[in-house]
Amino acid sequence: MANAAQPSPKSRRTRIVVVASAALVLALAIVAVVATRKDSSPDQTDASAVTIETGDVTVTGASLVTQPEAPAIDPAIGTKAPTLNGLGFDRSAVSVTPGERPTIVMFVAHWCPHCQREVPQVVKWLASGVANGVDMRAVATSTDAKLPNYPPSSWLAAEGFDVPTLADSPTSAAASAYGLDSFPYFVALDAKGNVTKRMAGELTEAQFTDLVSAAKA
Amino acid sequence: MDIDTVTLFFALLAIALQIAVVVLVLCAAAGRSVRSTVVDTVGPIALWAAAAIATACMAGSLYFSEVAKFTPCKLCWYQRIVMYSSALLLVIAAARRDGAVRRFVGPLVVVGGLISSYHVMLERFPNLESGACDPNNPCSLIWFEKFGYVTIPVMALTGFVGVIASLIIHRAWDGASRPPSSSQESHHG
Repeated sequence: MANAAQPSPKSRRTRIVVVASAALVLALAIVAVVATRKDSSPDQTDASAVTIETGDVTVTGASLVTQPEAPAIDPAIGTKAPTLNGLGFDRSAVSVTPGERPTIVMFVAHWCPHCQREVPQVVKWLASGVANGVDMRAVATSTDAKLPNYPPSSWLAAEGFDVPTLADSPTSAAASAYGLDSFPYFVALDAKGNVTKRMAGELTEAQFTDLVSAAKA
Repeated sequence: MDIDTVTLFFALLAIALQIAVVVLVLCAAAGRSVRSTVVDTVGPIALWAAAAIATACMAGSLYFSEVAKFTPCKLCWYQRIVMYSSALLLVIAAARRDGAVRRFVGPLVVVGGLISSYHVMLERFPNLESGACDPNNPCSLIWFEKFGYVTIPVMALTGFVGVIASLIIHRAWDGASRPPSSSQESHHG
């Protein structure tokens, strides 16, 4: 009868597995708490005091229609693009002023994986002189501190992206004014400030060259 | 606990489960005696293990969306449909010691695992979906990445594989302990 009270080796092993699993979960919870314990020492530098990630944007002129997903003919071609005035990440004035020179305006979102892949390509193409004769402007839009790869100022600086970049408003006023439908988004403007081409998504070098040619047309 | 702590905890759980699955696969390949020892040891609690894995996945998913405010994308919702229903079915089945649940949950979690696999691929190769980001929460968006590869879809895939492994072990244990003459699904738990 004494044997009846003894657990079998199988059930003893099962109990060990259960207890070990519970202990492992507890240990992992402790590791997570300890590993993410915040250092209470204050930051040596507070970069956020001088940089901004979003800012007020003034839109002057009629907004462009939203880019159709599969346009046979983009209805915005030939229409005058609105002027954008706002601030860069360092609070300096940045504007997109159609009608002065051929211009390409690039819209990027810090959390967008396609933008993250496209920015280094654009940096490379600009360095190779593909866009000579065309003004480049960028707009960092759809900025959200909850989303990955925040802040956009640090991301673009790390990529060596030295294009004058406008920090879009929290409501993405600049992107809306230019009819953005998806990221990354490019708008080519001729010297008169009219839209000559709009493209979205990751571009190849040939497509980017087409965009430059469209701006120069 | 802040979001980073909880995120790390679930990432560690996922890695622990990945290691457990790899160990189980190695045991299965090791030979009959090792295999039967594992089946005899884990089999009696395999349904509860599957239920615990699915419930933990559901809890993590709810935490990420409702507390951390990581908006679920379309593929996340498909995986949630599968995982949440599986969790409920598995808890009920484990409590009732009803091995027949394998027939219902098995196909569900296989489908869930396939969706998770595609989601993981999409994170690594965003162009599979499209060449551009939808401003409204694309599935290629990586909310966080721990240890260089653990993202939310990787956690989900790990959970589905863990449930599948548990159900396979339970099936082996159930089959081994069933009387040879029985044609009915047995009800071991």
